[in-house]
Amino acid sequence: MEQTELQVEIPSVLKQTSCQNIKDFDCVDYGNGNNPNPSENAISDKESYGESIAAFKVTNLERQEVVLISLPASPSGLHIGQTKLVLHSEKCENTDQNDTKNPYPQLAKQKKFHSQPILVRENGDRKVVHSEAIRDHRFDPFKTWSGRLERQISNLRGKPTQEPDIEAGPSEREEIEEAPGVDRYFDALEGPELDALRATEVSVLPEDEKWPFLLRFPVNAFGICLGVSSQAILWKTLNTSPAMSFLHISPMPNLILWWAALALILFVSFVYLLKIVFYFEAVKREYHHPVRVNFFFAPWIACMFMALAVPPSIAVNLRPFIWYILMTPIFILELKIYGQWMSGGQRRLSKVANPSNHLSIVGNFVGALLGANMGLKEGPLFFFAVGLAHYIVLFVTLYQRLPTNAALPKELHPVFFLFVAAPSVACMAWAKIQGDFDYAARIPYFIALFLYMSLAVRVNFFTGIRFSLAWWAYTFPMTGASIATIKYTMAVTNVVTRSLSVCLSAISTFTVSTLLVYTIVHAFVLQDLFPNDISIAITRKKPKFSKMLSHFRSSSADSKDFDSSISKNSEI
Amino acid sequence: MAQNQRRFNVTNHQIPIPTLHQSTTNTTGTDTGTSTRASKTASSSDLSILTRFHAGYFRISLALCSQALLWKTLAEPTTDARALSSIVRTIPSFAFILLWSIALLTLLLLCLLYLVRCFLRFRSVRAELAHHVGMNYLFAPWISFLMLLQATPFLQPDNRLCRILWCAFSVPIVVLDVKIYGQWFTQGKRFLSMVANPTSQITVIGNLVGAHVAAQMGWKESAVCMFSLGITHYLVLFVTLYQRFLGSDSLPAMLRPVFFLFIAAPSTASLAWDSISSSFDTGCKMLFFLSLFLFASLVSRPALFKRSMRRFSVAWWAYSFPLTILALAATEYAQDVKGVIPNVLMLVLSVLSVVVTLALMVFTALKTNDILPHDDPFVCYNIARGTTT
Repeated sequence: MEQTELQVEIPSVLKQTSCQNIKDFDCVDYGNGNNPNPSENAISDKESYGESIAAFKVTNLERQEVVLISLPASPSGLHIGQTKLVLHSEKCENTDQNDTKNPYPQLAKQKKFHSQPILVRENGDRKVVHSEAIRDHRFDPFKTWSGRLERQISNLRGKPTQEPDIEAGPSEREEIEEAPGVDRYFDALEGPELDALRATEVSVLPEDEKWPFLLRFPVNAFGICLGVSSQAILWKTLNTSPAMSFLHISPMPNLILWWAALALILFVSFVYLLKIVFYFEAVKREYHHPVRVNFFFAPWIACMFMALAVPPSIAVNLRPFIWYILMTPIFILELKIYGQWMSGGQRRLSKVANPSNHLSIVGNFVGALLGANMGLKEGPLFFFAVGLAHYIVLFVTLYQRLPTNAALPKELHPVFFLFVAAPSVACMAWAKIQGDFDYAARIPYFIALFLYMSLAVRVNFFTGIRFSLAWWAYTFPMTGASIATIKYTMAVTNVVTRSLSVCLSAISTFTVSTLLVYTIVHAFVLQDLFPNDISIAITRKKPKFSKMLSHFRSSSADSKDFDSSISKNSEI
Repeated sequence: MAQNQRRFNVTNHQIPIPTLHQSTTNTTGTDTGTSTRASKTASSSDLSILTRFHAGYFRISLALCSQALLWKTLAEPTTDARALSSIVRTIPSFAFILLWSIALLTLLLLCLLYLVRCFLRFRSVRAELAHHVGMNYLFAPWISFLMLLQATPFLQPDNRLCRILWCAFSVPIVVLDVKIYGQWFTQGKRFLSMVANPTSQITVIGNLVGAHVAAQMGWKESAVCMFSLGITHYLVLFVTLYQRFLGSDSLPAMLRPVFFLFIAAPSTASLAWDSISSSFDTGCKMLFFLSLFLFASLVSRPALFKRSMRRFSVAWWAYSFPLTILALAATEYAQDVKGVIPNVLMLVLSVLSVVVTLALMVFTALKTNDILPHDDPFVCYNIARGTTT
């Protein structure tokens, strides 16, 4: 049936009930047995009847059939509500189907989720579409205040709201509003960036449909800003450093890249701001994700890169208050995240450490570099000290590859390039604070170089990995290493260092250009630059086996495969 | 009776006691057996209070001695404290000597009590040495003595007596070092990843305070030696504590105030390096900034300390010493880097530490019952050893 493509799960009972299609009227079917309160249903029946009439009058009349099915708030919501009761009551056995159970009070309280009139084309080969005037409520739990904000705004804009105040059941809202614990992220997701759903897990949102764009826009997108703005710094350094004057680089690349980076930052920030306004719950879930939380540092680091890369034709000396403004959010985020490492419950470092944590450390060093550039003394040293102390902790932990560490990927992945970021920026920051590239700056530089070489000789292991937007964030360590090499060349000028600078700069520029091509291809040709962001749609609790089965059923192409696989399993 | 004892064990000393041992020994005796045991404890209750005392009480002496050191440093003419120095100089030196004497008397009293406990309940002391929290507090008396030595108004720093006393106080620290640090990396059962907890930083602080006092007295080599011991183990400990291995969360909720020791260790290192290198250079500044950051981090997490703040206990004294050391480091910082912000920082931190110490003294005076030892938390280990051996 076509309805299966819409919903994640439809109780089997529903499928068997027939739907009476009366022309120009909808039909409400209650043959599913989930009827705690006939009287309540009668009232809601009338409501849905009335509203669907209104809806129907408003929309165009090109459809042949209209099917309206009333379901509980959501399949998952009902299920979760029930599992909650299972936990609380301590009496029930492990129930899977709720059809035959006596309705619990929570079920009775749950309002029926009145679906929209589903438009079915006569041709049958087109997928079901929704009309524009009727909103999709499946994504409501991820929206700010469960969609009430959006309704307010559409009210203000004068669009009539066809539905009464429909809300998902309280249990489902709780399910979404409380972000999952960190253990759930590790259990449900896999992969070096913890972005792939495990086979046994179920997503709260439908997986086979494209979600709203804002919901698909991850915080990783700030990685593009990091990549492009660090390139701007590279070209500025190539232009201004006297040791590289033999290349005769003009200031144009720096200028172009700087403006491009500025445009990108503004665009990405604007879109993400919209996401915060409209989909705050999704943003909260991203914040609780052990890998994505580090990307919340990225906007501020990107802004600092912009300040470092500002072309001489635009500004030479920046005011110190910019530094204070940019470092304040980093300081607050740091207090939260490092405090969690030290004393915060489940998010112990031995468990959550992953290479993306370097992003939270690099912010300190970039701030120190920028502050020293501006002429400040104590502030940069403060952040350098904090960054150094925590970098040592993180470095040791990651090198140990503890068995309790769930997040470290077994195979090589571009995320490992983040190892190079911290020492290369730290050496530049120290050199700027001290005034010259002394031994204390050269030590981290050589460490960065060593880590770069260890990854570069293993470049063949990087093939065959699925492209993702986060790869942009991994280009800035390469660029950072190139810039550090140029600074080193300024201190120690000879053929070797010069050729090393040229070589590394060429590699980083080439990588960024390749990535740009990839991004454009994925954005416009393949149109999958922003896939469904599964990692924020995990359930709070592990789904029951029956749910996994139904998920299996809905995701498989036809039931024959499913049956054959079941029979295969039963044979085994 | 056993139930009461168990409850007091949990709330007052806050060391997780395997109560299984107590119950097994009680069930071995008959009713008459247990009643005679109860009467025995009732009759020797006064002596028992003295002997139930444990090393955690040295937090009080740490706090008071560091306060004395702070006041002395603030009153020094080299301190460019502006507003603070004028306030401090109006306080008569008599008040400072009084504070120093109170600190000395408290320390001597605590040492005496602990000696009594050593003689009468040696098994408990041995058990304490084996406990992962208790063993670190054995450094505390020596740290207090060293700080008092530095804060003394009577002797000049390079006096002969001073040096002899320094040797007398540092040798136990080194001996304990060898024992405890050696255990960390050689012992089969008690390696660092399992026993590490915030109080382990007291061992590091011991070395650093010894280095600080030695450098003040002019003995640079010994100072550098102890400093290197302290800083190396601090590095290892810092990483281990941040990693927070599973199973290393054996610190009871009532002992959460000891998290403030995270602040104390880098501040002490900063002070020590300052006296070794005779100027508050970049390394000292970085250590001071690290401890400032950790202070901000802990202060912005009040939920961490909520459970331990429900009831007054000797663990509350753990707040005072780190704040005082931080204020000392801020004083040195303000001396070197002249400006408005360092001075304000010094002012705020010094006032905070004085207020906290005074508040703790008032609380102790008012709630003496809560702070007195109600039971020997290590007696279970005694009985356990008695039954097994």
